[in-house]
Amino acid sequence: MRKSIIWLVCVAALAALPHLLSFSQQEILVVLVINILLVVSYRLMTLTGEWSLGHVVIMGVGAYTSALLTKNLGMYVPVSMILGSLMAAFVAFLLSFPLFRMKGFYFLIGSFASAEIIRLLWKRFRDPFGGPKGLKLIDGLPDINIGPIHIDFFEPTHYYYFAVIVVAACLWILWRIERSLLGLTFHAVHWQDKLAQASGVDVRRFRTLAFVLASGFAGVSGALLTHYIGTINPNTFDVELMVFVLTWAIVGGTATFYGPILGCVALTVLNEIVLREMGFEQARPLIYGVVMIASILFLPNGLESLVKRGVAAWQGRTGGAGAKEKTP
Amino acid sequence: MFANFTRNGVTRRKFLGSAATLAGAGALSSAFPRVPLAADKVVKIGFLAPLTGPVAAWGKPGLDGCRIWAEWVNAAGGISIGGEAHMVEFVAYDNEYDPAKARTGATKLIREDGVKFIMMLGGDTWPGVQPVADNTGMLFSTLLPSDLSPDTKTLIAPCEVHPVYNVTGVEWLAQNKPDLKTAVMCAQDDALGLPSVATYLAAFEAAGIEMLDEPLLFDPATTDFAPVVTRLLSKNPQIVCLDTCYSDYVHPIAEQLFQQGYKGQIISCTADFYDQMIAKTSKEFMEGFIFQFPDFDDPALNADFINFKDANKFYQVYNERHPGEWGAVSWEYASIMDLWKAAAESADSAEPDAVLTAMTAGGKGKHAFGDADWWGSDLFGIDHALVGNWPVVVIENGKATIKGFKSIPEWYAKHGELLKKHMTAYNQMWNQR
Repeated sequence: MRKSIIWLVCVAALAALPHLLSFSQQEILVVLVINILLVVSYRLMTLTGEWSLGHVVIMGVGAYTSALLTKNLGMYVPVSMILGSLMAAFVAFLLSFPLFRMKGFYFLIGSFASAEIIRLLWKRFRDPFGGPKGLKLIDGLPDINIGPIHIDFFEPTHYYYFAVIVVAACLWILWRIERSLLGLTFHAVHWQDKLAQASGVDVRRFRTLAFVLASGFAGVSGALLTHYIGTINPNTFDVELMVFVLTWAIVGGTATFYGPILGCVALTVLNEIVLREMGFEQARPLIYGVVMIASILFLPNGLESLVKRGVAAWQGRTGGAGAKEKTP
Repeated sequence: MFANFTRNGVTRRKFLGSAATLAGAGALSSAFPRVPLAADKVVKIGFLAPLTGPVAAWGKPGLDGCRIWAEWVNAAGGISIGGEAHMVEFVAYDNEYDPAKARTGATKLIREDGVKFIMMLGGDTWPGVQPVADNTGMLFSTLLPSDLSPDTKTLIAPCEVHPVYNVTGVEWLAQNKPDLKTAVMCAQDDALGLPSVATYLAAFEAAGIEMLDEPLLFDPATTDFAPVVTRLLSKNPQIVCLDTCYSDYVHPIAEQLFQQGYKGQIISCTADFYDQMIAKTSKEFMEGFIFQFPDFDDPALNADFINFKDANKFYQVYNERHPGEWGAVSWEYASIMDLWKAAAESADSAEPDAVLTAMTAGGKGKHAFGDADWWGSDLFGIDHALVGNWPVVVIENGKATIKGFKSIPEWYAKHGELLKKHMTAYNQMWNQR
């Protein structure tokens, strides 16, 4: 009962949120929702202990595929989004063959190199990728007219609801994966890979699976972005965005499912809303950097550690028994 | 001081608490949209350009110039609309040269700040803003006419007809140094570089200058220009053309040309912060460097046909406030505002459609460098680029000097087909983009 109430409150809050914001904040909110899926999908990959520098390019594969399918073949946008996601997963599958011959730092560099190859291919081949200028005038979601109801997905509020539904569904699947036997195996591959291998777990196969699944969801986020903004180019998916994804994950923390979400939300609000509104338009990179350094110095376990401490303190005040029971 | 600060008991908890309070206060204040103070008789103008990041050099100096322009106009009584004086206020949004942020910025400027006109750098950011322009009818300006297309009727390029004005530099070079007959060119492979490559190719062909090699297109992520320059010089050219490279490329390329012993002619679209280039090379090496953007202390800008008011004083004030930051765009956005102000006063309205109608009336306009024509159907599909004279600038004795003004329409009347040929080859015609 209590859980249901919490869920209802969350749904109501998400539904009401855009109406509490200004127009530009609604625009930021849409991109934030998409970025949440991107960073949470990234965390799925990190569960196996591998950190990639190619995740945003894989997101771009989903974006380019979906954009090209709608532009060139006139495909219905939701269908192209799904195919974009599948293409991202397929490209990740292909990349896994060379990449998972490496581990750790070598995997990190290998993922960066392979991602750059893909990005350079987008730049090199003007047909069909549009070259350095990329693709523009990409179709958005078609309007929906049901009686008096008119839904125009150019409006950020309308697209937000669509994105929230898609992202929530993806997050639920990602959550279920992590809580399943598969998720436990990912953890085992990370923390006890030799033991897992000795127990008959094909470590490489599970790393590949995590990489492919994470890439599929990154592809969804890319497709969501491209049909909202209506334009993409190779720079949209450059290493700068990858650094942001890493930052969100590190500042938020990756020990929990919600850690990267906290990082993404907190840093986006700070960078895009708070600092702009405070008049630090041009000093934002500097202040953003200082805040990041401070958070890493004072919160080495990420923002999620604040939540853990807060919950522990609250449970301590209300008896503490529950907290002790739940501690592994 | 910092030791005292910490000794007096700033704990980690206090630090984080203060930071959180600050962030919370900011977030709370930002949750309530600001109300425009209509009673102040203020007309707001949006400035949507990169103010941070690698392309900031083509955004921030323009905003600084606009602020000087606004001070001068407001001190002189503002803009007269409907018989009343209106003060001008610039509202800036840093789009970081990102289409998504440009869309957010356009939405904020139009729907929250109530601006009447938005100035942009354009380029990669324009496709993100285009749907907003189409949906709202807001009047936008771009510095890059390659953004123009018949699809959007409210986008104008009233100042910089990039890259077409580059033909004037080549034309001047051919007339004044007729013995130089061979050239090579490099450019970054992007939306700025490619149309400029096509333009320079057309200009060289028109001037009878032979290209010794295909233009060398490098990736915008390039940081080491030694191999680029080595390859350029391997052809032993008399002219090295740097196309429309960002200043982050022009500087290291010039440095490499110097280090590799090049002694020939250099021509470039820009030479922002050329004093730094001289410091990195030598005054002798930079002597005769041709580009297209003058310092505004040049006496040639006091000529009667120049429409930019008090150019010399503008340059002086700019340099007092922002020493060493004068660049290609420092005056450009301000010159667009001259046109907008004249059109708004003529239309007696700040509304975008009325201003656009007044601005383009008769097909003529007062460009910063003289009277000009609204032009562009051939290349851009719409006559929304203001084209007239453009200066040719040469570095002489360590100082940028205007050597003359050349007419772009006159060049185009003679060699337009060449330009179209090369633009088509590089897929830069409006119907190919």
